[in-house]
Amino acid sequence: MSNKHTILSALKQSALDQHAMPTIDVVANNDDLVGQFNASLNTVAGTLHSEGGLAALQQAVDELIQQNMQVISLLDGIKGNRQVPETAHDLADIDYAVIPGDLGVAENGAIWVNQPSHRVTPFICENLILALAKDNIVANMHQAVKQVSLQPGELGLFIAGPSKTADIEQALVVGAHGACSLNVYLY
Amino acid sequence: MSELYTASGSKVHAHKADIFCRDETRVDWHSKALWALREKRDRAAGSLPEWEQLRLLGSQLKLHTLSHLAQYLEQFEQQCLSNGIKVHWANDAQQHNEIVHGILAKHKVKKLVKSKSMLTEECHMNPYLERHGIEVVDTDLGERIIQLANMPPSHIVVPAIHMKKEEVGELFHQQLGTKAGESDPLYLTRAARAHLREKFLTADAAMTGVNMAIADQGAIVVCTNEGNADMGANLPKLQLHSMGIDKVVPNMDSVGVLLRTLARNATGQPITTYSSFYRGPQEGGEMHVIIVDNGRTEMMKDKILAESLKCIRCGGCLNTCPVYRRSGGYSYNYTIPGPIGIAVGAKHDDTNSIPWACTLCGSCTYVCPTMVPLDKIIAHHRRLKADAKRLPYGKGGYMPLVGRFMASETLMNTSMSAARLALRVLPGSLLKPFSGAWGKYRELPVAPESSFASWYNKNRSR
Repeated sequence: MSNKHTILSALKQSALDQHAMPTIDVVANNDDLVGQFNASLNTVAGTLHSEGGLAALQQAVDELIQQNMQVISLLDGIKGNRQVPETAHDLADIDYAVIPGDLGVAENGAIWVNQPSHRVTPFICENLILALAKDNIVANMHQAVKQVSLQPGELGLFIAGPSKTADIEQALVVGAHGACSLNVYLY
Repeated sequence: MSELYTASGSKVHAHKADIFCRDETRVDWHSKALWALREKRDRAAGSLPEWEQLRLLGSQLKLHTLSHLAQYLEQFEQQCLSNGIKVHWANDAQQHNEIVHGILAKHKVKKLVKSKSMLTEECHMNPYLERHGIEVVDTDLGERIIQLANMPPSHIVVPAIHMKKEEVGELFHQQLGTKAGESDPLYLTRAARAHLREKFLTADAAMTGVNMAIADQGAIVVCTNEGNADMGANLPKLQLHSMGIDKVVPNMDSVGVLLRTLARNATGQPITTYSSFYRGPQEGGEMHVIIVDNGRTEMMKDKILAESLKCIRCGGCLNTCPVYRRSGGYSYNYTIPGPIGIAVGAKHDDTNSIPWACTLCGSCTYVCPTMVPLDKIIAHHRRLKADAKRLPYGKGGYMPLVGRFMASETLMNTSMSAARLALRVLPGSLLKPFSGAWGKYRELPVAPESSFASWYNKNRSR
């Protein structure tokens, strides 16, 4: 018997009664979604830029480039100074990555990012910039998981703030292995 | 003290706790650090009016999945296969390790970067792979610290919670060449970041645990704050993910519920920094999922023990446990400590003592995001040990007597009045030895004037 069949047949002896799947019907707080999102993003150590839209983002990118930063943009209309390289490892010296966010979640400040070219881009960059449409903010995770797109073969993820750790005496340190800062531009 | 050891040399929980308790300042510090996590959890939970509804939903959807587990596991496998993910099944730890090694050997992997996975700890995978010449690098900061210190995790979410920053500083000075005497967490974290970045960039394969496996998507969800799982999985072309059969959930809606409670209950964060959904390998890459039983189907045969499989490994029960906080993660004779460690590990504990590392206060059950009835499960383990005639250190001798004593009203009443009298007239120094371990850190009680029964008859019984 294969391992799979051994496991599945052992499960036939389960003592658990049958339980129905519950109906997930949780009341959402839809008041001032941008305000809620901003507060949550602060909690997870991210920064929101809600004025100026994509023009403000391009201006910020231009300033970074003037400071000799390596900036890659995966967002249409925003121009960095680095192209997507052949291999993912060549992203190791990227200072800033600009990536489109699909959906924001007001209750926790998380932003859904879908299948960036070179999957490691949002993690390996020193600093991350996400752009998010104001209208694409939902109240909570119940709504978010219904709206995100995750096609077969893809990686999709929620990003809530820069990477962080508190593994040394519970002291919060921002910037563990992933990006050391997160700036979010609303448009 | 020979009764405190088993033939194989393991020590009972109380003995190991005693060692931890020798340094009282450290015990207080440890307890406070964990209680701070519990307080953060309370604030996060309290900020959601629907918190109790989410706990109930979490419990119900896990019970539903567990009661249809074969069906969901098959669906998960089919969906994975159609997404280009390779699926393996392992009955036990040995098979798991062999499968992992087989995949790595086929790809001539020399260096594996790994993110946190309690399952690979449970399977003792690192030493197995190292014996086969593969370098395993734990990449979660806490895990890396204890790996460099050659210690197992002492907590499932914050594995180095027992270490002080000065000790980490000294360890990093020895092993990573950081400045001597430097113990600033920011400095040490940045040093670890630089050290591990080099490992990520040169790894041949990556391995992670699995927080949830989504049956109808054929996708796995991995949650970290540090980004180490994703730095690993997305650089080399080979990614492996090990999961217990209990990690499967039916659909995205289920993930929505559990992601709302997992981090809030673990550290008080609204969500972990990264919640990554892998629904297939990267371009030109290979993705393997190893589904492991290792005793879980056996637990499913017992209706009470089966509920421990609802656990989502947030660690909330450890943080709140008065025994864990004051006895440390190394006092339990199992990889996973604390209440959930007793629930899933009691049968592996050859000292048979960990079900008694509990006051049955129920705090763990109260904070659990999927309502695992931990105190009930722990009490049940005591019953199972008694039924199997495996009561620890002398309990087998005196517990039957205690039972007979408690069941007899006359015996009980007579001896209790004798005890009250003794407490009043005899000096403490004479009585203290009779209180055993209980009296070690406690004063004897002041004897009441009468028994509760006679007080009640006199005052309230009408």
